[in-house]
This record gives sequence, C-alpha cells and structure tokens, in this order.
Amino acid sequence: MLLQILVNGILMGGLYALMAIGMSLIWGVMNIINIAHGSFIMLGAFTTYWLFAILGMDPFVSLAFSIALLFALGYGVQRYLINYVIRASAFITLILAFGIEIFINNAALVSWTADIRKVQVAYGAANFSLGNYVTIPTIRVVAFLLVIVISIAFFYILNRTNLGRSIRATSQDLDAARLVGVDVAKTYAITFGLGVGAAGAAGTLWSILFPISPIMGGELTLKSFVVVIIGGLGSMLGPIIGGLALGITEAFGTNWFGSTYGNLISFTILVLVLIIRPKGILGGAD
Amino acid sequence: MEKKKLQYALIGGFILLIVVLFPLVSNNFIIRFGTDILMFAIMASAWNIIGGYTGYASFGNVVFFGIGGYITAILMEKAGMHFAVAYLAAGFGAALFAVLIGLPVLRLHGHYFAIATLGVAEAMKALVQNLEITEGNSGIYLPMLDLSIKGQYYFFFYMMLGTLILTLLLTYLVLNAKLGYSLIAIREDEDAANSVGINTTLSKTIAFALSGFFTGLAGSIYAYQQAFLKPGPAFSVQTTVKMIVMAVFGGMGKLFGPLIGAFSIEIISETLSNYFLVAHTLFFGTVVILAIVFTPKGLIDMITQRKFGISYFLENIREHRI
Repeated sequence: MLLQILVNGILMGGLYALMAIGMSLIWGVMNIINIAHGSFIMLGAFTTYWLFAILGMDPFVSLAFSIALLFALGYGVQRYLINYVIRASAFITLILAFGIEIFINNAALVSWTADIRKVQVAYGAANFSLGNYVTIPTIRVVAFLLVIVISIAFFYILNRTNLGRSIRATSQDLDAARLVGVDVAKTYAITFGLGVGAAGAAGTLWSILFPISPIMGGELTLKSFVVVIIGGLGSMLGPIIGGLALGITEAFGTNWFGSTYGNLISFTILVLVLIIRPKGILGGAD
Repeated sequence: MEKKKLQYALIGGFILLIVVLFPLVSNNFIIRFGTDILMFAIMASAWNIIGGYTGYASFGNVVFFGIGGYITAILMEKAGMHFAVAYLAAGFGAALFAVLIGLPVLRLHGHYFAIATLGVAEAMKALVQNLEITEGNSGIYLPMLDLSIKGQYYFFFYMMLGTLILTLLLTYLVLNAKLGYSLIAIREDEDAANSVGINTTLSKTIAFALSGFFTGLAGSIYAYQQAFLKPGPAFSVQTTVKMIVMAVFGGMGKLFGPLIGAFSIEIISETLSNYFLVAHTLFFGTVVILAIVFTPKGLIDMITQRKFGISYFLENIREHRI
C-alpha cells in the first residue's frame, strides 16, 4: 500500500517536474515570472487533443507538433512583446504575463467553449503489476520516461551547445554577453520559446492522463510555482527534485488526511521551504 | 507653491463632493458599481503601502480580505455581535495576522516574498475550506442589514467611501512621518537603510500590518454586503492580481495611483462587458497588454507629466526594450 502510494507520487512528480522546467528556465534566465505558463500548458494539451480528434494522430506523435508549435508561439511572444518591456521592473513583465494569460484563456474559451475534453487512446487503461502489491499504469511510466528524455535534452542544450552558452552568459551578465557578441534579443526569444515548448510537452502528456479544459491553466501555474520554489532556481536538477518532492508529499498527504487537504499540504510546504531554505532544497545559503 | 497647493485642494474637494453626492442622483445598479470601485480602490491602495512604497510585492493580500470577511461573519453570526464591533475586529484581526505571518515572511526578498505570500493565501483558503467554524466549502451566512433596499445601497457605499478616505489619509500621514521615509529607503536599498540605523524589520512589519488592516476592513464590509461568504471567492488569487494590476495600471508608489487604476480598470472592464457579451475578457486582456507596453509607469505618470500621445509611448518603449 505504502509502496503503491510512493510509486503514484513519483510518477505524478515526473509530470510536475516537466511542467516546472520551462518556468524555471524562463525565470532563472530572464527574471520573468511567467504567470501564463499554465495557459501555454493548456495550449499544448489542446494541440494534442485536436490532432487526435481530427486526424486521429497518436499523442506520442503529436508531442513533436505541440513542442514545435509552442516553441514558435513562445519565440514570437518574447520577441515582439515581452522584449519591449524587459528592462522595466519585474512587476511590469509580471502584469504583462497576466494580460497574456487572460488573453490566451479567453481566446480558448471563446473558440473551444468551457467543455471538459479527454484524449481517449485505446491503450489508456493498460497497466502491469510489480510483485503482488503495486499496479502501475503503463502510460504513466512512458510519460515519466519521456520527462527524463526531455530533461536530458534540455540539459544538453544548456550545457553543451553554443546556444546554451549564450543563454547562460545572458543570464549571468546581460551587458557582458552583449559585448562578446551575443544577440541578446534573439537569445531571450529562444529561451522563452524553449520554456514554453517544454510547457507544450507537459500539456501533451497531461492531456493523455487527465481531462482538459481551457481554464485548467491557473491551477497548473500555481503547481509549477511550488515546484520551482521547492527545487530552487538556477539548476536543471531543481525542478526534478521539486517535482518529485511535491508529487510524493501530495500522494502521502492526501492518503493520510483526505483529498480536501491536498492544497493545504502543498502550500504549507511551500511556505515552510521558503522560510527555512529561501533558495530551495538545492540552493546555496542565503 | 502655496497657490498650487490651494488649487490641488480645491480640485480634490470638488471631486470628493461629487463622489459624496453621486449616490443621491443614481440608481441602485450604479451605486452598487460605485461601491465595487471603492472597494477595489481601498484594496489597491492598501496593497500600494507594502508593494508600492516598501517594494515588497505581496501576492497574497487577498488573505487579509478573506480573514476580515470571515472574522465579521463569525462574530456576527456565531457570537451575535454588532457590525461596528465586527468591522473593527476584522481590521485588527487582519493586521495581527499580518504581523504574525510578516515576521518570518518579510525576511524574504523579491519573487520569493511574492510566492511565499501567495502560498500563505492559498494555504489559508484550504484551511478555511476544512474548518468547522467557517462551515467549510458550503459557505457561511451573515445576518442581513435591517434597512430599506435603498438604505442598504447607501450604507455600503458610504462605508466603503469612509474606509477609502481613512486609508488614503493614514497613508498620507505615514508618508510624511519618519516611517514613510524608512519604507521608501527600504524599497530603494534595504541594506543601506539598515546600515543608517533604520529598524527595517519593524518598519516593514508595520507597513504589512497597515496593508492588512485596510484590506481586512474592505473584506468586512464586503462580507456584510454579500450576507454570504465562501472560501473560493473570499480567498481568490484573482482578487490579489486585480489589486496589483490596478495599482500598477494607475501608478504604484503614488498616493492616488491605485485609486485612478481601480477607477479606470473597473470602468474599462464594465464598458467592454456591455459591448461584447462573450469576448469582453479577451479584450480586457488586450487592454492590459497594451497598457503595460505603452504606459509602464502608470496613468498617473501621464497625468502629472501632462504627456500624451505617440511620442510618450515610443519614449517608454525605447527606455525599456532590449
């Protein structure tokens, strides 16, 4: 029983981690708190839904489309909108992100209505057992493995490529990066695109596992926040640690106290982590 | 200088007179709309104390609103107290909560403070949803105000107006006292403020408590007006976001900025919802985006600098773009 809860928590935590990776990247590099993050996840989920509903495309194939589409969208939003106010105070970008969130959510509501939808794949209910105690839904394991693959891809891009070096240089010192020839505006746009692309991937996986609707974004933004804070900014490992921590505590918490206490538990942990270790579990001393 | 002050006082007095007399010539719907504007003006101004002047962007100020509302509901419904008592208790209760939560949370800076306060508000919502005394998710009823319909509309309008004037007056007094200078010093450079002998912890906590106090008062009036309170709407993140958007839109760190923001945002969103039944929130999002890109310093900057038009907008973009 305990083992089953732990497994459920870890599998859920993987998805939380993927949701938060993009937010953490955008926040860490550009100091933007992307309130619209959950809305981008929603768009990723709906990309998969429509490709499935109209073309019958398998979600694991449409994953590529939702990442590409969301990357392009994110690139455009940063390049032609956020870059124009990026040097104003952090409030300003935050409120701008809030405006973008309202816009996306309501555009989705107007065009797709508030109906709750689900991607009904044939293999949705398949599962396998480990020993006699633990039942594992196959699809969640596949989703979890994908999370790991995407995280490694992110890690590779940031640490081993020229693009990654430009991104890290820009985040460390904007003026110095510009001096050595980094096209800062473009780097910012690509960074935002990557973060939003990861959100698209999370949305695709979310749409296979849970029902989706245009107003699902707010809750997901909050969850991503919690994960980023628990893990701490500035490391690719942070969101993974944070996601697993949130997934596991939520699984145990709701098992012991009942599901109505889920949010109380996550947010109490959030506040405690902030007070005790303001830079996250992995972060250095304050 | 003296002449200018007199001019401002005259304009201010004139506007106040219009606001005070306005309900007498309006229908109930308009009075109710005015009451809503005043309520958000109180909350945005209260947010301005901690977010605008002190530089601590609270993302959980709605927690004071909810606490004020629930204190009022519990005292009136369960303890049978008069509204006047519950109203004051709501303010002081919210301020006390601000002190208790502020002592640990105000040690955090920037985004971390923002998220911690958001966490406090969300945790509080979840707690209220599960407590017995607040009657959980089913919500709690308050006694109705024993007045005629018209009398009720007047009562809540003038309660909100009075509370708003109190908020602005006290903020003005604080700004001109030593505390106000301490707060602005903290916003500009907290370490420097500390090293010249300002008790930063005390100043920040007082600012947070004041912010909580006024927001709690607004929550109290709101609860009595609604006569029914549920955790979801009472602790909604959207309310906090609205306070911040209004303060930024009007001009934060300015006494009248949040007031102007609350007034214009409410008018804009009401007008849009009159014209566009389905898509009005979509247009509202667009307005927020355009306003942030073209006037990031707030409407009050446009008004006080008397700058309008394309060149002002382009100047802002040149200043902030990359």
